[in-house]
Amino acid sequence: MTGVQLESVCKFYGDFRATEDVNLTIANGEFLVLLGPSGCGKTTTLRMVAGFVEPTRGSIRIGNVDVTHLPPWKRSTGLVFQSYALFPHLTVHQNVAFGLEMRKVPKSEISEKVMTALQMVRLDHLGERYPRQLSGGQQQRVALARALAFRPDVLLLDEPLSNLDAKLRHEVRVEIRNLQQRLGITTVMVTHDQEEALTMADRLVVMNEGRIQQVGSQRDLYDRPQSQFVASFVGRSSFLNGRAGGARFVTAGGLPVVIDSRLEGEAVIALRPERITLANAPLADTPNNLPGEVEFVSYMGNLIDVHVRLNQHDHVIAQIVNRDDTNVPAVKDRVFVSWAPSSSVFAK
Amino acid sequence: MSADAPQRSAALTATTLLGPATFVAALGVIGPMLYLLRYSFNQYDPRELMIETFTLKNYQAFFTNSYFLDAYLTTLRVGLFATAVCLVFGFPLAYVLARSTSRYKNLMIIAVVVPLFVGNAVRAAGWMSFLGSRGLLSVTLMNLGITSGPTDFMYSEGTVILGIIAVNLPYMVLSLQSVLEGINRNLEEAAYSMGARPLTMFRRILLPLALPGVAAGAILTFILAMNAYATPVLLGGPSFRMMAPLVYGQFQLNNWPAAAAIAFILMLTTLLLTMVVSAITRQKFRVT
Ligand SMILES: Nc1ncnc2c1ncn2[C@@H]1O[C@H](COP(=O)(O)OP(=O)(O)OP(=O)(O)O)[C@@H](O)[C@H]1O
Ligand SMILES: [Mg+2]
Repeated sequence: MTGVQLESVCKFYGDFRATEDVNLTIANGEFLVLLGPSGCGKTTTLRMVAGFVEPTRGSIRIGNVDVTHLPPWKRSTGLVFQSYALFPHLTVHQNVAFGLEMRKVPKSEISEKVMTALQMVRLDHLGERYPRQLSGGQQQRVALARALAFRPDVLLLDEPLSNLDAKLRHEVRVEIRNLQQRLGITTVMVTHDQEEALTMADRLVVMNEGRIQQVGSQRDLYDRPQSQFVASFVGRSSFLNGRAGGARFVTAGGLPVVIDSRLEGEAVIALRPERITLANAPLADTPNNLPGEVEFVSYMGNLIDVHVRLNQHDHVIAQIVNRDDTNVPAVKDRVFVSWAPSSSVFAK
Repeated sequence: MSADAPQRSAALTATTLLGPATFVAALGVIGPMLYLLRYSFNQYDPRELMIETFTLKNYQAFFTNSYFLDAYLTTLRVGLFATAVCLVFGFPLAYVLARSTSRYKNLMIIAVVVPLFVGNAVRAAGWMSFLGSRGLLSVTLMNLGITSGPTDFMYSEGTVILGIIAVNLPYMVLSLQSVLEGINRNLEEAAYSMGARPLTMFRRILLPLALPGVAAGAILTFILAMNAYATPVLLGGPSFRMMAPLVYGQFQLNNWPAAAAIAFILMLTTLLLTMVVSAITRQKFRVT
């Protein structure tokens, strides 16, 4: 097995920059997820690794081989598409055997390897069926078996679950992750489903407008977002605009806020809703303790969102857990919100 | 009772809609055909023209006369060859069209069809000005010093095939394009990613999936080529013979029985080969 390396990879379509300056090192056996809004260049990046899109600039290595200009059939990537892309005129068995035949595996071994691959996805009893005789979930598992049967260097998944219903999506998600870990195969998956990304990945890459915004673990992205985009795209945040200077911050509405950062000038504070404390009276010993009025309460069962307006310009969302003793504020209530100085601050 | 009322009215609608077309088809095509079939068993007489009888003489005469047989073989050869060439040239063109994401795609499709806007006589004049002894090709070859005198490329089997291909290619391209368009590009990419080279991918994935389009295109162009009339007459010249002009020739000689027999031989041959092609396709494409 092998890792993958992308070095300053760019893809331009005329003037349009589909991806720009993508640098990534994917470790051997790692499950990397590319996450980002629609059109941010995730598929383009994946297809460059597979060999269907040639980078305008930069280089791609799989293991020790520079594959930048190698055609797809000379690379060793297993591909799973959103549309399954099973060959409709071949049986499940023949579909899975295709990659083995292309790799000149002796005929005597093919059948056994196909069975092994189908057993991995628990579909060994359906080998003689044609793809259209399978459910969507079964088709996607066959696609997975087909991509893994010839033991590629890298497994590439482009939104593999988005055509499945919610329940199935959870099942196949676990299945993919288990298989990936068992085989220890280097994997890159594209998704714009945040939950999917967070539950499956070893490491995540957040992209926007063709560029990598941040690479890191779930924790890195959630607790230490490096940009306003990541803070809003991974999880939720409310933002306070203002000016920073010497560990102090003044919001657009003129409220003083203590921050840990040494930023100067126009800046924005990102506040995670569950990190904001809500109280009926000012709390002693808390640095950022500001009065406000409840504007809106959104009840979500286990959790409750409380929208608090601090003044004409500033507004935060606090999330509280719905316990027996929770005092749920009502609209127009006067409340106090507070948060730690360690909240993320970004320059504007 | 009310439950099957919509069904009955649907059936009624279908009858109303299909009725006139069926009637016209029966009257305009099947009727005359049966008449022609009957004629083909009659006997030609120079004075009485046609004598009502039942004889296979016309068919016998056809298969024992080298003049007719020659035309028959030429027609088959031209038909098969033109179809094969249309397929070979049409496939890549259809593929490019089907896979194009250009916003000029519709224009490209129109460009494929445009040659059909030109009538046969005009087209023939065009070929003459290109292939005749004073045509562009001949003059160019002379000017380049490749030939010393004028060469006439007109009036040969090659010219006729060329002419037929020019007419039939659009039909082939459109038949293939519509089927290729329905084949998900991801299928090709899946094959490539598993290590298939382009030719292997074509043979194992694209061609089998495109087979219905190949069959439709081949059948269409083959029928057109077998029955070509204007092109062989205008581009083949007086000594070149194919079946459709032959039929007309016999009609002109007032030999209706012979004309009818030749027409039926042409029709049956076309039908037979067409059926063979569909049978092969259906067998290859059998899914369950
Ligand atoms: N062949 C092409 N020609 C021109 N632009 C292209 C081409 N392929 C992709 N693009 C553009 O590049 C950008 C990135 O596309 P890409 O398919 O990588 O997005 P994505 O992140 O996968 O989005 P999604 O989540 O919607 O699948 C898009 O704006 C797209 O329109
Ligand atoms: Mg995509």
